[in-house]
Amino acid sequence: MFTMGRLVAETLSRKNISKTLLELSKNLETLTSKVDLILASQKKTVPLRSVEEKTAKNEISFEALDVMTLLSLPDHLRKTAVTICALRSATAADVARETGRARAVESNYLNQLVTMKHIQRERKGKKVYFYVSK
Amino acid sequence: MGKIVTIHSSRGGTGKSLISVNTAAVLANKGKNVCLLDLDFRAPTMYVVFKLSTEYWLNNFLNRDCEIENVLYDLTQRYNTKGKFLVGLADPSMLAIREVSMKDRKWEMKALQRLLSLRKLFEERKIDYIIFDTSPGIQYASVNAVVSSDTVVVVTTMDALDIQGTRSMIEDLYEAFGKKTGILLNKVLLPYSVPSLSPLTEVDRESLSKQLKETFGIPILGMIPCYCDVLRTSRTVILAFQNPEHPFTKDIGKFVEALEEA
Repeated sequence: MFTMGRLVAETLSRKNISKTLLELSKNLETLTSKVDLILASQKKTVPLRSVEEKTAKNEISFEALDVMTLLSLPDHLRKTAVTICALRSATAADVARETGRARAVESNYLNQLVTMKHIQRERKGKKVYFYVSK
Repeated sequence: MGKIVTIHSSRGGTGKSLISVNTAAVLANKGKNVCLLDLDFRAPTMYVVFKLSTEYWLNNFLNRDCEIENVLYDLTQRYNTKGKFLVGLADPSMLAIREVSMKDRKWEMKALQRLLSLRKLFEERKIDYIIFDTSPGIQYASVNAVVSSDTVVVVTTMDALDIQGTRSMIEDLYEAFGKKTGILLNKVLLPYSVPSLSPLTEVDRESLSKQLKETFGIPILGMIPCYCDVLRTSRTVILAFQNPEHPFTKDIGKFVEALEEA
């Protein structure tokens, strides 16, 4: 290993090493700022698991997903919300099939709607079902 | 698979109900199975047109007091239509109108789910078209109808306020829900013409259609001139059944063809 390291070091010129180190430090800075953002957003939003637990105990009052509320949602969430209204109870994959968007995208939007208290989430075995509050 | 069509407008008095009834009648006469539902809970009119005494209204269906089967009346034999002709009415009593206007957001949310569940009629009753006649403007019942439908037909007259209202409805409502929308221009007035004597010529239609398409940016599904005799006719008369040769019925026929293709 030592020989290998020395060989690499010898191959790279001093200039190349400083350039690589500079890039590394830049990437580290970006990473740090992203982690800060994630930590800040976690302070503001309620964790999903906690929403689920509180729902089960009827501790959270849900916002009715009526048409005027649908109109006030941003376009991308409105499409998901209308679909879940029509399907009543569905997985992210079911919603994705209707909207023609990727499952991961729908999963993200559905979780946003849960956080906004417009819909509820329930795990049944391996699947997670989303539904409009009763 | 069937189609749900909402007949809507930005303001009242555009002729939505007359068009809804005659559109349903023309479709049923063509052999399509049609279900016409009066969702104008603030100013119901269908009970006058069909003169039915009913135990259950659409209000009861939305309230979850009954199922849709209890609300629907089969008028196929009465009008001798080739396809099924089913009708569901809104409760015209003052109490019901007052009640609907006092419903909360939760009730409206459940009402939307009830309307969305009507799709089962396509399978269960082999329905080809469900037509919603709605109240004008942005009201819960009409927006619920828009959200539940596949196609929205906006009825407008040539009145400047009507055109302005239609434009904002297209941008703020139909596009927001990604609905397939078409315009039906009603009560078209042409200078120096008596429509019953000189109906809209193809040239008139084409130039008007071009102008309107530029104004609204959506397809024009039909144009109906202002027929004085239609305005004078009683509400109980369904021209598509009683006078299939009337120019109004012919215009509805053209509109239905465009609707089928839309």
